[in-house]
Amino acid sequence: MSREEESNGYLDGLTTTEIVVSAVVVLFALVLFGSLLTGGLAPTYFLYLVGLAGMYALLSLGLNSQWGFSGLINFSVAAFFGIGAYGTALASASTSPIAGGLPPVAGLFAALALATVLALFIGIPTLRLRADYLAIASIGLAEVVRIIVRNQDDWTNGSAGVRGIPSFFEGWPVLATLPETMPTLVFGSGPGATVLNTPFWQALLNVGLVLAFVGASYLVLRRAHRSPWGRVLRTIRSDEDLARALGKNTYAFKMQSFVLGSLIMALAGVFYAHLNLYVGPGDLDPITTFYVWVAVILGGSGSNRGALFGGVVIVAIREGTRGLPLDAAPARLLFIGLIIVLLMRFRPQGVLPPQRELIWPGTVDETPQQPDTGVRETKAGEK
Amino acid sequence: MVLDLLASGLVFSSIIVLGSIGLSLVYSIANFANFAHGDTMTIGAYTSLVTFGAVGGLGGTVLGIPFGFFVALLVGIAVAALVAVVTEKLVYDGMELDSIGLLIASIGLAFIYRAVVQLGFGAQSTRYGIQALRPIEALLPYGVRVTQHDVAIVLSAAVLVTGLHVLLQYSDLGRKMRAMADNPDLARVSGIRTDRVKLWTWIIGAGLAGAGGAFLGLYSQLTPRMGFNLLLLIFAAVILGGIGSVYGAMLGGFLIGMINQLTPLLSDVGIPIGIEYADAIAFVIMVVVLLFRPNGIAGEAS
Repeated sequence: MSREEESNGYLDGLTTTEIVVSAVVVLFALVLFGSLLTGGLAPTYFLYLVGLAGMYALLSLGLNSQWGFSGLINFSVAAFFGIGAYGTALASASTSPIAGGLPPVAGLFAALALATVLALFIGIPTLRLRADYLAIASIGLAEVVRIIVRNQDDWTNGSAGVRGIPSFFEGWPVLATLPETMPTLVFGSGPGATVLNTPFWQALLNVGLVLAFVGASYLVLRRAHRSPWGRVLRTIRSDEDLARALGKNTYAFKMQSFVLGSLIMALAGVFYAHLNLYVGPGDLDPITTFYVWVAVILGGSGSNRGALFGGVVIVAIREGTRGLPLDAAPARLLFIGLIIVLLMRFRPQGVLPPQRELIWPGTVDETPQQPDTGVRETKAGEK
Repeated sequence: MVLDLLASGLVFSSIIVLGSIGLSLVYSIANFANFAHGDTMTIGAYTSLVTFGAVGGLGGTVLGIPFGFFVALLVGIAVAALVAVVTEKLVYDGMELDSIGLLIASIGLAFIYRAVVQLGFGAQSTRYGIQALRPIEALLPYGVRVTQHDVAIVLSAAVLVTGLHVLLQYSDLGRKMRAMADNPDLARVSGIRTDRVKLWTWIIGAGLAGAGGAFLGLYSQLTPRMGFNLLLLIFAAVILGGIGSVYGAMLGGFLIGMINQLTPLLSDVGIPIGIEYADAIAFVIMVVVLLFRPNGIAGEAS
């Protein structure tokens, strides 16, 4: 991230919250690494978790570029995630009722095309609406999409879902057979030994894929949001009338932001389909939308690194609740609910609100090294 | 066929109306879209389930419903209202947020309500221990298949709605509520204790939701998701009637309930849309209303 570039006095530049969050993240990573070494956590499962975290980070990045930057209350995240998953599944799976059997890369583009169409279908009517109406209308249209996917058996196999999805790298030169050809490594001995075999290499490939998706999206979004285009979006978010008075077609800008974010969410769906190898109508359940909202609010609306952090926390909740003595599904719901309420009550701006990342680093180089002396003091009228 | 669909539309409408009044009241006075409203209905339903299990039949029956169920209904209303009051005091009261922040907080509350119900009762569906009835014989020749339970739901909803109408039009509290819905700042400077009125609004809205939930359980069955599944239909009703207007919510609830149950007629007139799309039709209507008449059919033009 951009912070790493400022190697000079790195820790000094952080706020207290950032230091605490970094410490917690490092501690969490150490715990995970420790349980990996002691065999408490199987490496393949660990990589699966990393993949999921990456997927949620993608979804949060997408929502962040709609809500965090343009202020669009999009409650149809699950629909874009689902359409991305279904898009690639219907193109590439062996049981697809439409095309089927196409290479997964074609599925990727099919998913992106479908997501664009859906973004226009949802965006054209709803983006003119007031903020809270937009929320209700978008969740309503997302439910319409879910109902169609569940009931149009001749397009989507209905409630049976789509099986037989190939892995994303099928048909690629070296990568397709990489997991099989990699050697089986064994660390330690006896029943506690760590075995790295085909599933592990497969999981490693998947993590590589999601990291590529996240990295590409992150770079595109960072570039976009620092550009003049991104500045217009932020103006729209804080004062739409002002943006309009400055001669901007705010509807067009909101639509572009909506489509961009939706494409990134669909990318998460594509990854999910090739990770899970099965998609069903349950993947369009509105709960996904709310998970992603928690990730974005928790991380701090408008903050890309916050979105990444939120994605990790969501996976910790989703997978961490499996070990509890409670029923996992309601426990998960309870955690999510409590986090939302506590955040809105005590820290509505999120844990890591956006700070320097909205500005090109070059523009801050000119400012004094220690802004606490000089400008601020004279402004406050002290001394 | 048409008469039968109209009859079941009336029953379903009664439940939607009970839900939409509360949502609309809270929207007009607390000024946000309360996503926890559906799960407040669920709380009412499950409280009634527990109470009914405890008090049992209590002797006689009215319209095939034991007296005990009406006791359970009142307890369900009371507990739903109590939960709303506690939530208002604990959560919403201290928040310095705009309507979007409150909306998001209410989603969190919805999850907490539903999680608690599901932790207590499991995810599977359940029913009240009330004997299912055969349709009323006298109406069968007309093709109308309604049970005495359905009649009881419609009558009870009518009583509650009439009671609310009397309260709003003829009581001191009702006048204050209408004044506050109209202009909260003006109401406050006129000497109305807006905090107290707001609390009563929560009590009435959540109480009606609790009743709606109990009836929904009687109409079909109880699941932890029952209220949440109905929430978007209720939003559609409230938006159709005009957000913040109680009478609009009644009208919108009636229309959405009817449209929902009349969906099979579409295939009769040659439009190949099945009953499985009934909810989708309501959501599309909702979006269309928002686009062309955001103040609803009963709301004033902006």
